[in-house]
Amino acid sequence: MTCLSENEQGAELLTGYLSKALDAARMAELGRHIQECADCRGLASVWQRLDEFAVPEVSLGFDARLYARIAREEARIPSSSWRRWLWRPVAPLAAAAAVVALVLGFLHVPGGPDSAKQASNVEIEQVAQAVDDLDLLTSLADTRER
Amino acid sequence: MEAVVAPDRDAQLMLRVRQGDDTSFGMLLERHRGPVVHFLYRMVQNQAVSEELAQEVFLRVYRSRETYEPTAKFTTWLFRIATHVALNSIRDRKKEKGHESLDEEMLDGTERQVADRQPTVEQEMVHEVKLREVRQAIEALPAKQRVAVLMHKYEGLDYAQIAGVLSCSESAIKSLLFRAYEALRDRLAHMA
Repeated sequence: MTCLSENEQGAELLTGYLSKALDAARMAELGRHIQECADCRGLASVWQRLDEFAVPEVSLGFDARLYARIAREEARIPSSSWRRWLWRPVAPLAAAAAVVALVLGFLHVPGGPDSAKQASNVEIEQVAQAVDDLDLLTSLADTRER
Repeated sequence: MEAVVAPDRDAQLMLRVRQGDDTSFGMLLERHRGPVVHFLYRMVQNQAVSEELAQEVFLRVYRSRETYEPTAKFTTWLFRIATHVALNSIRDRKKEKGHESLDEEMLDGTERQVADRQPTVEQEMVHEVKLREVRQAIEALPAKQRVAVLMHKYEGLDYAQIAGVLSCSESAIKSLLFRAYEALRDRLAHMA
């Protein structure tokens, strides 16, 4: 096997080996190669050296500081909650449902279009009846005068 | 335009945050607080600054909740924000102060961890020298190489994710990492 650290494909295999991301057979094969190849051992050594770069624990108050910043920001932009509400998928549906309910309600309340039509018909019948009654009275009066 | 992919678990949590579920934001914070702070610490090599930048990262995540779309893995999106914040900070600090001595900034968390293991004075000094050399070798890498190495070596991101963070192809990332590890081997060869 040629030196793995001389080309990108080899280096990719080598970093796969070092991060233990290869299957068992490949791991064994590369392990044997690294024992024999000084350059690859050098790259493996660098990988181990990088482990020296430890990191400190995250401060205990990290979350509290973050939530305080978020709260301050939310308080500074009061419209944010409104914007969030408007972004919710249910909001347009609720608005559409409200409009539909309003229209349906209008069509069925007393004084709506159906009721107005019925009232108009009743009024015509009443006038016609009144005219008929007046004609009848007039006829009767004429008859008495004769 | 990026295609919408099937949301991973983190992306599903973020979608719940979008719907106003702040508990899901807490879960995301719990899962990613450590990796983000550690990545930023290795980028800027200062604990206070790294935590301040991490706060900015999570604040941006929270601010973006209303417009969030799972166009990539959540961690790719998160580390893209973290990388952007870190590179801006490094650029601003260079403008403001010039290069700072790493020696002054090493007096924080990392040394406390060494002290906890109670090594001898000699072991501690050897460790400090090695650590300083590793930190300087990483800091000397060009910004993109540094970001790629930190995400690959320490945060376990795969080539596709690193490519997503740095907006380039996977083959470009492989090439970038190859050059970066070569440079580190040259700089740290005497430590082998």
